[in-house]
Amino acid sequence: FLFHSLQAKMSRPVQARRLEGVDKNIWVEFVKLAATYSKVNLGQGFPDFPPPDFLTEALTRALGGGNHMLHQYTRAFGHPPLVKVLAQFFEKLLGRDLDPMTNVMVTVGAYQALFCCFQALVDEGDEVIIIEPFFDCYEPMVKMAGGTPVFVPLRPNPPKDGKLMSSADWQLDPVELASKFSERTKAIVLNSPNNPLGKVFSRGELGLIAELCVKHDVLCISDEVYEWLVYDGKQHIRIASLQGMWDRTVIIGSAGKTFSTTGWKVGWVVGPDRLLQHLRTVHQNSVYHCATIVQEAVAQGFQRELMLYGKPESYFVQLPKELQQKRDWLVQSLDDVGMKPIIPEGTYFVVADISQFKSDVPDVPNSDEPYDSRFAKWMVKNKGLAAIPLSAFYSEAHKNNYTNFIRFCFAKEEATLKAANDILQKWKHEKTS
Amino acid sequence: MFLASRNFCCRGIKLRTDLLSRSIKHSTSATMPFRHKNTRRIEGLDSNIWVEFTKMAADPSIVNLGQGFPDISPPSYVKEELAKVAAVDRLNQYTRGFGHPSLVKALSQVYEKVCGRKIDPFTDILVTVGAYGSLFSTIQALIEEGDEVIIIEPFYDCYEPMVKMAGAKPVFIPLRCKNDGNSAHSADWVLDPDELANKFNSKTKAIILNTPHNPTGKVFTLEELQVIADLCIKHDTLCISDEVYEWLVYKGNKHIKIATLPGMWERTVTIGSAGKTYSVTGWKLGWSIGPEYLIKHLQVVHQNTLYACPTPLQEALAQAFWIDYKRMDDPDCYFYSLSRELESKRDRMAQLLKEAGLNPVIPDGGYFMIVDVSTLNVDLSDVDDKQPYDYKFVKWMMASKKLSAIPLSAFCGSETKKQFEKYIRFCFIKKDSTLDAAEVILKNWNKQ
Repeated sequence: FLFHSLQAKMSRPVQARRLEGVDKNIWVEFVKLAATYSKVNLGQGFPDFPPPDFLTEALTRALGGGNHMLHQYTRAFGHPPLVKVLAQFFEKLLGRDLDPMTNVMVTVGAYQALFCCFQALVDEGDEVIIIEPFFDCYEPMVKMAGGTPVFVPLRPNPPKDGKLMSSADWQLDPVELASKFSERTKAIVLNSPNNPLGKVFSRGELGLIAELCVKHDVLCISDEVYEWLVYDGKQHIRIASLQGMWDRTVIIGSAGKTFSTTGWKVGWVVGPDRLLQHLRTVHQNSVYHCATIVQEAVAQGFQRELMLYGKPESYFVQLPKELQQKRDWLVQSLDDVGMKPIIPEGTYFVVADISQFKSDVPDVPNSDEPYDSRFAKWMVKNKGLAAIPLSAFYSEAHKNNYTNFIRFCFAKEEATLKAANDILQKWKHEKTS
Repeated sequence: MFLASRNFCCRGIKLRTDLLSRSIKHSTSATMPFRHKNTRRIEGLDSNIWVEFTKMAADPSIVNLGQGFPDISPPSYVKEELAKVAAVDRLNQYTRGFGHPSLVKALSQVYEKVCGRKIDPFTDILVTVGAYGSLFSTIQALIEEGDEVIIIEPFYDCYEPMVKMAGAKPVFIPLRCKNDGNSAHSADWVLDPDELANKFNSKTKAIILNTPHNPTGKVFTLEELQVIADLCIKHDTLCISDEVYEWLVYKGNKHIKIATLPGMWERTVTIGSAGKTYSVTGWKLGWSIGPEYLIKHLQVVHQNTLYACPTPLQEALAQAFWIDYKRMDDPDCYFYSLSRELESKRDRMAQLLKEAGLNPVIPDGGYFMIVDVSTLNVDLSDVDDKQPYDYKFVKWMMASKKLSAIPLSAFCGSETKKQFEKYIRFCFIKKDSTLDAAEVILKNWNKQ
């Protein structure tokens, strides 16, 4: 049978070596589990409420407008109206002039922006510093580019008074961080606000990273997709605005997170031309264009936000306000039942310590699978509540460092959060009765 | 990590250069030179014909028959399906990474009918960002350093840089004109079977086939496909079959899928395009179809590059496919009606070009037509550009005739550019008024 001969002929497997070690993906597994078992899905990070009306109306207008050329290719590096408004927006935010044609590029979600960064800038033998816990794709993307991920952890410093931890209590050790920089370090990936913890890096923390980048001539890939989701009056600071950083930073953003429309898969990079030119080369040799009509609608969304910037009606003011309430709601629910949440300063995730519920899922010694992963799977199958184990956001070597935490997404309708609360309350009562 | 096939010599040189540049860096401590250049994988891949020519052709006074996209409207039901989808909230969030379920199901039904074999929507199909994304995923998944990939010239320009970006070596073989250079039809352009056979060796990982062919419009016959298939089987090689124009075949021709030939399903990845099928190039949706043991590697690439494609567009496309699937035995099916519409445009375009003294090569498929412009004897020797003749001709034509096309040497490897530099490519999937404007230019060509 010829099926086998292709395998047999090649002294090596049919697939390319760049796929070595990057085939596993937590989402493929957990999304399927949630789809099969969950009654309440607080797992994968997407809103279950609709995008704002003005955005869906923009799409409808574009479709109804009679310009059928919106169904054809647009400019490869970004639909002109979108790159123009992004440039205008980020000029304001960064306090510098931006050329929409060379300092901005549109990508298929922030995911593809990350891919372009690694492919354009990371060569075999390069080291890339990744702060743990991290959005899981950074590691396989670095590997696929032939690079070596070097991990440095955020370490929890719990408050002495026994109060709930905040994501601010998870910090880098400056000496430890400095020790990770070597001659081979090409870049550091920064994600602020951080998924999964919700940490919003302070000016001081960013300054520390910036100093090391400048000292070692290292690039910064700054994943800022949750830039608008910061709470308690905190400020999202862009590392590219720090001294010496603009020239070495690529900023990544996402319409999916900005406008609660993850399914549109529109993202962007902002940065200096001499870095973006290489991202353009990768882009033109991989996807080339992004879908036109969603770019058109996102452009209109940004135009509206530009006009309303800082005003109470701005979506960028309203969304974090709404989400902060939801955060507080879920934090309360978790705390009420004895799951200890780490109060996030940003993003729409909260990580909670489930130690008090461990008796429901006995430890299996010598298990390959981290405890929290088994717990999360048991929870979705038996309680119908989907969440993601924190070990998903750690490198292989460190997956067992924190085994009692799981991540919940609170970008959900009130009804969903209420239903989650009901499950948690019922569960707690079953334990105590 | 360090395997025999890596080129140690080059690594050694790179390491020495790095150490040298770093020692220079430390000795001049005052200003550190910015050492961040592009990665090796994209070295030399930065230029791109489209970036240059689309900019020039964007001048509204120019009649644009260059880049391949329709200026006709997509069918109204396709636009309506997208409008319907826009109103459904949950379709604004992430869908299944490897392809929205309703879309992969629709694709499996359509292609099961075409191929006459069972196609599993979840394991045998990957939805990508355009066929372009499928080409990228396939090449990144299956091709690497040390591999050779056979590319038939002229070729859709991205094949070469994509193969190079994967670290592999492109091996070119040109289509040659049967009638000693006097070609009137795309069928006149053929591969020499002996020449083709000589291109295969133990390093050959894949051959890229494009049928119907861009830019010539050639529709490979069963006999021609059999020659390729025989070689693939003999040398145990993969076939990457770019069939984006699969529905656009004109009277007297039939599109045959090489994957349906005996022994080929298990070694072929077949690529299709919503943009070309439904005249919606701006939706950027494509797909790869093949055996699970190949597609699973494309899925791994996909989950590490962009993860998922846009949901609303996939849902609308699925609905459009269901509409046409139900009428696949009906001549009104868009898959057939579009090619009928284009056939008359093809014939009109050919007529206009002939009247202007140009020699078009009548395509059997696709929506491009290549034209021999040497008969016009336009003297461009005073343009001291080092570019090939056809580049100079197209630029001259845009400036002086306000008509754009694409130079054919953009679709060739460096060795063959001379062979093809007398040809330019026109796109004819254009509305009547565009073709009318082209007609005016062509009729007045000699009057200037």
